[in-house]
Amino acid sequence: MNPQNLSIPILVPFLLALISFLLPSRIKWLRETVAVLGAAIIVYIAITFFGQKETFYTLPWLGHGIDFELRLYQFSQFILLALSGFVFLITLYSTVKMAGHSRVREYYGYIFLTAALAAGATLANNFVPLIFFWEGLLITLYALINLGGKNAHRTAVKSFIIGGFCDFCMILGIAILWSQTGTLRMSDISVLPQGLLAVSFFLMMIGAIGKAGAMPFHTWIPDAAIDAPVSVMALIPGALEKLLGIYLLVRITLDFYKLEINSPFCITLMIIGAATIVLAVFMALIQKDLKKLLSYHAVSQVGYMILGIGTAVPIGIIGGIFHMINNAIYKSGLFLAAGSVEHQTGTTELKKLGGLYRAMPFTALGFLICAAAISGIWPLNGFVSKEMIFHGSYETGYTIFTIAAWLGAILTFASFLKAGHAVFFGPRNPETPQVRENKSPIYVPILILAAICVVFGIYNWIPLKFFLEPILSGHLPAGETLNFSSHALALFNPIAMISMGCLLLGLGLHIYGFKRGGNKAYLVSEPIHHLPVLNTLYNWAEARVFDLYEQGIKFLQALSSFLFKFVDRPIDFFYERIVVSVGRACTGILKAAHNGYYANYLAWTIGGLVLIVWAIGALLR
Amino acid sequence: MIFLFIIVPLVLAALMPLLGKISKRFLPDLLANATMLFLLVFSVISAKPLIANGGVIQQAFWFGAPINIRLLLDGFSLFMLFTISLVSFAVTLYSIDYMEQYGAKANYYALLLLMIAGMNGLVLTSDLFNIYLFLEVAAVASYALVAFGQGHDELEASFKYLMLSAVASAFILLSIAIIFGLTGGLGFGAVASGLKTLNIKYVVGFCSGLFLMGFGLKTALVPFHTWLPDAHPSAPAPISAMLSGVLIKVSGVYAMMRIFLNVFGLTPALTTVLTVLGMASIFVGALAALGQKDIKRMLAYSSISQVGYVILGLGIGTPLGIIGGLFHLFNHALFKSLLFLNAGAVEQSTGTRSLDQMGGLAKRMPLTAATSAIGSLSIAGVPPLNGFWSKLLIIIALVQAKMHVLAFLAVLGSVITLWYYLVLQHNAFFGKLNDTWKSVKEAPFWMSAATVMLALLCIIIGLVFPMIIHSWLQPAADVLSSGVAVTLNFIGF
Repeated sequence: MNPQNLSIPILVPFLLALISFLLPSRIKWLRETVAVLGAAIIVYIAITFFGQKETFYTLPWLGHGIDFELRLYQFSQFILLALSGFVFLITLYSTVKMAGHSRVREYYGYIFLTAALAAGATLANNFVPLIFFWEGLLITLYALINLGGKNAHRTAVKSFIIGGFCDFCMILGIAILWSQTGTLRMSDISVLPQGLLAVSFFLMMIGAIGKAGAMPFHTWIPDAAIDAPVSVMALIPGALEKLLGIYLLVRITLDFYKLEINSPFCITLMIIGAATIVLAVFMALIQKDLKKLLSYHAVSQVGYMILGIGTAVPIGIIGGIFHMINNAIYKSGLFLAAGSVEHQTGTTELKKLGGLYRAMPFTALGFLICAAAISGIWPLNGFVSKEMIFHGSYETGYTIFTIAAWLGAILTFASFLKAGHAVFFGPRNPETPQVRENKSPIYVPILILAAICVVFGIYNWIPLKFFLEPILSGHLPAGETLNFSSHALALFNPIAMISMGCLLLGLGLHIYGFKRGGNKAYLVSEPIHHLPVLNTLYNWAEARVFDLYEQGIKFLQALSSFLFKFVDRPIDFFYERIVVSVGRACTGILKAAHNGYYANYLAWTIGGLVLIVWAIGALLR
Repeated sequence: MIFLFIIVPLVLAALMPLLGKISKRFLPDLLANATMLFLLVFSVISAKPLIANGGVIQQAFWFGAPINIRLLLDGFSLFMLFTISLVSFAVTLYSIDYMEQYGAKANYYALLLLMIAGMNGLVLTSDLFNIYLFLEVAAVASYALVAFGQGHDELEASFKYLMLSAVASAFILLSIAIIFGLTGGLGFGAVASGLKTLNIKYVVGFCSGLFLMGFGLKTALVPFHTWLPDAHPSAPAPISAMLSGVLIKVSGVYAMMRIFLNVFGLTPALTTVLTVLGMASIFVGALAALGQKDIKRMLAYSSISQVGYVILGLGIGTPLGIIGGLFHLFNHALFKSLLFLNAGAVEQSTGTRSLDQMGGLAKRMPLTAATSAIGSLSIAGVPPLNGFWSKLLIIIALVQAKMHVLAFLAVLGSVITLWYYLVLQHNAFFGKLNDTWKSVKEAPFWMSAATVMLALLCIIIGLVFPMIIHSWLQPAADVLSSGVAVTLNFIGF
């Protein structure tokens, strides 16, 4: 492939963004047509790029190792393809869902800008362009969240600050890495994390998992689920950020740093992963709003990926990456389904919904398949990737992480039983009578995503062989080959048996809760919600006690009011009163001295002359 | 060739009153502007290549016989010529509209051209007596111009200016007489070589003191500045711009530096005195400006303060200090004339100079407000405008010369400058529009053209300052920093 073509996946969406910004808003169908066709072109480009040989492109830029370098290879091809696919599906979905939005012009512009920046971040082979694209995504995310409801701005700022903090850590880590290795070319870096490099590993890791939305950098996602347009949620926290964050995490753990199995770095990653799984799923369980519930799962699932990658054993890593793409697929599907329900009923509160499966059969079908996939039900894709992660974490010898992952599986299934039950089954809610299936641009993307869930589960050799195994191929000892597909769907081994047992437990929890909650599906999690210690913790969590951002804001507000009272005011007093009055006094003296009398001025002149002559004489001596 | 710099304005100055009989406005406007444009172009296109290999001296002939007038054109004098021509061009352009209210345009241009001839002569001459001569030519023209309005204040200011200048001139003449008596020569080369052979440092010190007082008064260095806050505001706005923009620098800074650096040689004692006087000027000027309610008076005090920076930079005597000082001289010529011209525009539109009565004029006079903002930010040293770079160079030079306290004070002075220019901008242009000025109009075309030209120069020079330094300042600074050595080559004259 011609190296110069590497910039096409960045430039084409960028041009589309420009066109979207400039298209007059009067001609309605034109913008939607352009958007869908443009997204299709992006997908076409990504397909033509897939399977190409490794290609480098270097454009000299600032010198000192800061050049515009791109690299296309198996992994980035795969991410690029996935990104483009999501952009296409979301654009298609938006043609109906966003049609009535007052700022739809900006919406498409930012979506394509996001696509351009994400492609740039994927292809970058130099840390400086990477940071450029990475930071740009922060801005488009801010802009896209801002398109939402009336509280959107606050959430947008929150996402921006949290993202900014993570990116700052990453930049710091990159700076340390640069100072230690002397190069910014990503493909040249492969070091052992020792000394300062260990610090830089942690900092860059924060950047990667922060983008992916792991705890404790997740708190904006549940807020955004309420405030941001649902298609934005499906595209960005649902898919793009997982892809990019995990992509970078894999690059860090596989390429930039050589990690030993069960080294402190791996243990840290696994702890973060396990904690994210368990804590987020506990939060997800008690949510009473479909979008908010999904957003906590978006966080929880990241834990699986980080756990898998943190195991540093091949099956775990592949499982983590596989889970990344699987999660992006079904989580997008779920968000889109939630959006579809919202489009018809005007709400996503579980209490107000119910029995929609007849009215919205396609949405219900898509939702159920995706929910089954995220819960890890045999033989869907979620089952395969989760099994690989269970196996990987079990291989490290730290069974505790496997147990945490199983606990997550129980509660995930329980919470999706609740969500599915409350939305699509049970009695129809009288508040939402006029409900029918949406237009095809809304349910087709959901069904496509659901279909991929099925295909990737049953024919799991397709993604494993074409997408995933090539990624690890460069990192294996010579002669060893990978083949996961043979036992990927095997049910008869202890780990898979336990997983199935977990699902049964989840079902049991649901039935118990359903009985206790007076046959109201949205109340099934209440028994767990009201467990003695958990209840307190839940109350704290609802009060955002664990939200580092909110606590940080509180701390900063206290700090700034302290600084205002005890530092700023005194300084201000110094300037306002002391400096000004000294200035005034000097000015007053000078004004009084310049009284306009010639004799006075002449005396100054002569006096000055005498003084100067005396001074020169004294200085010459 | 070089004589044209003096002869052209001189001849036109003589013709101007006669032309005024034929045409009251058109011809004087046209000829004055054409002269200035000619001088500007001439200094860039013809004179610049002339000094490619160092200074040149031209001898005057009277009917074939050489007479005792020699003109010296080197980097320093050309730099000054360029500055004079640039500001004069802006000023004559501005005068087309502004001087309508005064009438007697021909006489006005005659005096202006005479002053320019005097200044051009001063920077081109190569002996001490001619310095005195041209100094007086320019000064006499400026006395008349300050009093051009013929009101009470104008006449009083002009008289005060005349009386104090006369004292200065007397001391300058006294000093020249002493030096002539000691060395037997008046040419720069002759004096420099004469002083070299004599061991009379105290007498030279005494003469330096006299010169410092005389030229210091022309420069308006503290404590010799007292005439300036009266004289500069009283003159018509273009003349204020001319006086503050170039006259104080030519008749003060140029003459002083030419004599001290190229003829006497800079001694540590002189450096100390110059830097102290410069610093005193910075603070007295700035603090006094802070308390002014009259916009032009504030600008006049500001001139004292800014010339302090010029003297400070040049007084250090290091190559970087000289470049910084000269650059600030040039920049100050630009933005101070810009600000005075703007003040004139405001005065013409509103009829007042009091900052208390103005307010919100930006709404009615957007161009004036914008150019004034550029000038104010520039003089306060806000990057990337030209004033920032020159102040920065001076401060760097101070640090390099291990004068850290002075460097700190220079920064402090710059802060006070920002302070009173913000007061000026705020009171005059920003805030709520005073009801009195509802019907105020923007300045006429030529006035705006002049101010916009100067404002653009402030921005452009700020952006491409390395080019300016390389092509105009470096040759000038080379002359000054090579000291007496360069002058000794002219012994023959």
